[in-house]
Amino acid sequence: MKMRNIFLVVISAMSLLFVGCTKKQDSNERILNLVSPAEIKGYDPIQADDLYSGREISKIYEGLLQYHWLKMPYELVPNLAEALPEISKDGITYTFKIRKGVMFQDDAAFPGGKGRELEAADFVYSIKRLADSRNTATGWWVLDGKLKGLNEWREKNAKAAATNYDEEVEGLKAIDKYTLQFKLAKKFPQFLYSLAMPFTYVVSKEVVAKYGKEFINHPIGTGPYFLPIFDQGKKITYTKNPTFREKFYPSDASPEFKHLLTDAGKKLPLVDKVVVHVMKETQPAWLKLNKGEIDYYSVPKDNFASAIKNNKLSDELAKKGFVLEIAPQLDVTYTAFNFENKLFHNKKLRQAMYLAYDEPKANELFYNNTAFPAQSIIAPGIAGVDANYKNPFKGPKLEEAKKMLAEAGYPGGKGLPELKYDIPDSTVSRQMGEYFQKQMEQVGIKIKIVSSPWPEFQAKVKKKAVEVYGLAWGADYPDAENFLQLFYGPNKSPGANGSNYDNPEFNKEFEAAVSMQDSPERTARYTKLNKFLAEEVVALFGVHRQAYIMEQGWLRNFHPTDLHHDAVQYLNIDNQKKAELLKNF
Amino acid sequence: MNLYAYIIRRLLYVIPVLLGVCLVIFVLFNLVAPDPAYTLLGKHATPQQIAELHHELGMDRPFLVQYLDTVKTAFTFNFGYSWTSKQNIWEMIKAGAGPSLSITGPLFIISNIVAISLALLVAFYRGKLIDKFVLILSIAGMSIPSLAVVLFGQWFFAYKLGMFEISGYEHGFPQFIPYVILPVILYTFISFGGDTRFYRTVILDEAYQDYVRTARSKGLSEMVVMFKHVLKNSMIPILTQIIIQIPSLILGLLFAESFFSIPGLGAMTINAINTSDFPVIKAMTIMSAVGFILFGVLTDVLYTVVDPRLKLK
Repeated sequence: MKMRNIFLVVISAMSLLFVGCTKKQDSNERILNLVSPAEIKGYDPIQADDLYSGREISKIYEGLLQYHWLKMPYELVPNLAEALPEISKDGITYTFKIRKGVMFQDDAAFPGGKGRELEAADFVYSIKRLADSRNTATGWWVLDGKLKGLNEWREKNAKAAATNYDEEVEGLKAIDKYTLQFKLAKKFPQFLYSLAMPFTYVVSKEVVAKYGKEFINHPIGTGPYFLPIFDQGKKITYTKNPTFREKFYPSDASPEFKHLLTDAGKKLPLVDKVVVHVMKETQPAWLKLNKGEIDYYSVPKDNFASAIKNNKLSDELAKKGFVLEIAPQLDVTYTAFNFENKLFHNKKLRQAMYLAYDEPKANELFYNNTAFPAQSIIAPGIAGVDANYKNPFKGPKLEEAKKMLAEAGYPGGKGLPELKYDIPDSTVSRQMGEYFQKQMEQVGIKIKIVSSPWPEFQAKVKKKAVEVYGLAWGADYPDAENFLQLFYGPNKSPGANGSNYDNPEFNKEFEAAVSMQDSPERTARYTKLNKFLAEEVVALFGVHRQAYIMEQGWLRNFHPTDLHHDAVQYLNIDNQKKAELLKNF
Repeated sequence: MNLYAYIIRRLLYVIPVLLGVCLVIFVLFNLVAPDPAYTLLGKHATPQQIAELHHELGMDRPFLVQYLDTVKTAFTFNFGYSWTSKQNIWEMIKAGAGPSLSITGPLFIISNIVAISLALLVAFYRGKLIDKFVLILSIAGMSIPSLAVVLFGQWFFAYKLGMFEISGYEHGFPQFIPYVILPVILYTFISFGGDTRFYRTVILDEAYQDYVRTARSKGLSEMVVMFKHVLKNSMIPILTQIIIQIPSLILGLLFAESFFSIPGLGAMTINAINTSDFPVIKAMTIMSAVGFILFGVLTDVLYTVVDPRLKLK
């Protein structure tokens, strides 16, 4: 026997020997296998500022509102609330009725280890936790300045020896066991979106008290799944919450989701177990998907050309039963200027740079031509985008760019200092930086690329220590305000306005628009503001990306989404189909 | 010098070394590294929140107080809590040590046995076909980037041939075994080249000494010459090379753990670096510094065991 054969026999024998070590699953059990491409920071809703932690938290905790699973544009519907709130005529008071009979999961924190019923007071406590400066919550921004008396309560308690959760706050009251009332400091209709975000999910006072600092690793909520303890491992296994209330799969859907109504009316959640594999590297996750061990995964950039042909799956993958889902994301990529630097007050310079930039080529190079060109800041699918609008300064228009640069006072780039272009430390970012450098070079603008690790890059932006830099923004909620606020003066660094753009005219119009209830008039104002930013060229708007997700043929009810953190409860596995399809793998 | 006195004296060196390590850590984290508040607070941070977080983390205290705090941490091994996961860092280290050792332990043993055995073999057959073959294999192991080896290994052995798990980990024995075989094999290939070449040189240095010729002329078998005489006398550099690897075993394999989704200390350290979790980075830095010092002492003591001619001073 040759050496190679001996080696293979030995290794095969070793593998067979240990295959028996892995646990076997019950064939009737429906198990969903998912990937988290980032580490999970823990299970404290008030710290859920990243998408992946938010998704895990939403398996266990819930909020007053949620987005309808089968409707687009996104539509808010009640979750732990009985119905949408009653809103006073002046748009200031929001009164919710809480769903009765909702139970917290069983845990030693409760008397006898049995979870108790959810009450309106639990929301008051949870929101005060979010506001408590001692918790340094990353989600405080959603309610900062929004509720009457809450900021005052926060500041007063920050100076006190301990936080007094019993002290009443005017804008946040449990009227009775099942009635919750919010009073806003000023009109802000987007407030309702914050009640569907993980930051405002409800937690129990008893569990927080019992686990103290380690509360973050002991998730006990009212949600569809149960995880007794989070051990910071690479594999997180959730089981069905045995005390989950009667909640059913929706029976109505937008036209594009009518085909996802097979499970209409069934009790949620639909699968028995959810296993989340934390896998930061794309290759192992992609291989696991192709082996049938993962139920869906985003097509990695490096595998795109072999997997996707003419926007369809390759024949080989289609034969295995894979399905490709393509959906626009609520995001925008852009190259920002730091307006603290007087140089960028020169509008013609900004316009010249945008005219010089070949965005279609960038789309081809970095997004496999799958993204939509961005004309301004608001992502398509959100009220405020004029689908027919084309930004007149979007390149490549080299001759116009050169002319504009001369008008800006820098003919052929003469007299213009070398500009620093900051990027986070990664291969793709460096490639994008070099591409930008080359584009600007064509009109004589010299660019120096400065690469830093992500935390340092972030810190530089927050400290206003950058000149030009590239980044992307994903929506927190489906309202144009969330995009336009990126250029609102009072949000300057370290706030979300990392461009430090501060235009009194824009600020005034923005304030007027965001206080209005959703209406054609508000949409018209949003559209006007969006065009204003486009023509001011406050940034070089890049693209709105699309998600390309490959799912197994046995997965049911899935659709790509940016804001449904709680999607898992609606997903289902067809075990019979899985057994059949796996024969092709 | 008495062995115990020597050990105590060497251990006392830990104090100035740790003070120096603390100073380096302190300067790096407090003066060079970016403010962690920006990473920890996310994209909507306000100046007020940043100030509150600085206070919460004790970053608004005078530098001297913060430095003394780092020194206290190093000498008491009370690392406190992680800034991101809020877990007790000792608990995190205990949880991550098992998975890390389940890869690095077998890897350490297998790769050293393979490298020393091959080195003895090629030293014995110096210049023959087997020597050339191992040379080519060693150069391949050293030259091919480890990323390429891992990517190919995962694709070919785990995906195409289906012989191993692609990635993942199960806690407990023997459940973890299927998950560690592939990384151990691949990293043995990655590391054996350099080690084999080093050991071969060391063994060849000894193989041409006069006493070896004497042994042969006395009619001793080649097995006895190689194992009893050559290998024994080559042990000092071999021991140094082996023992220096031991502290790294506990620290885990930074890249491999991330690629194979092993929840070990290497992956924990990488994650701490990415999230500016200074207490965890500090703990791992202090642990490795102490590990290197202690195993340095152990190496010196073992020298006297394998070579009685050496005296401790």
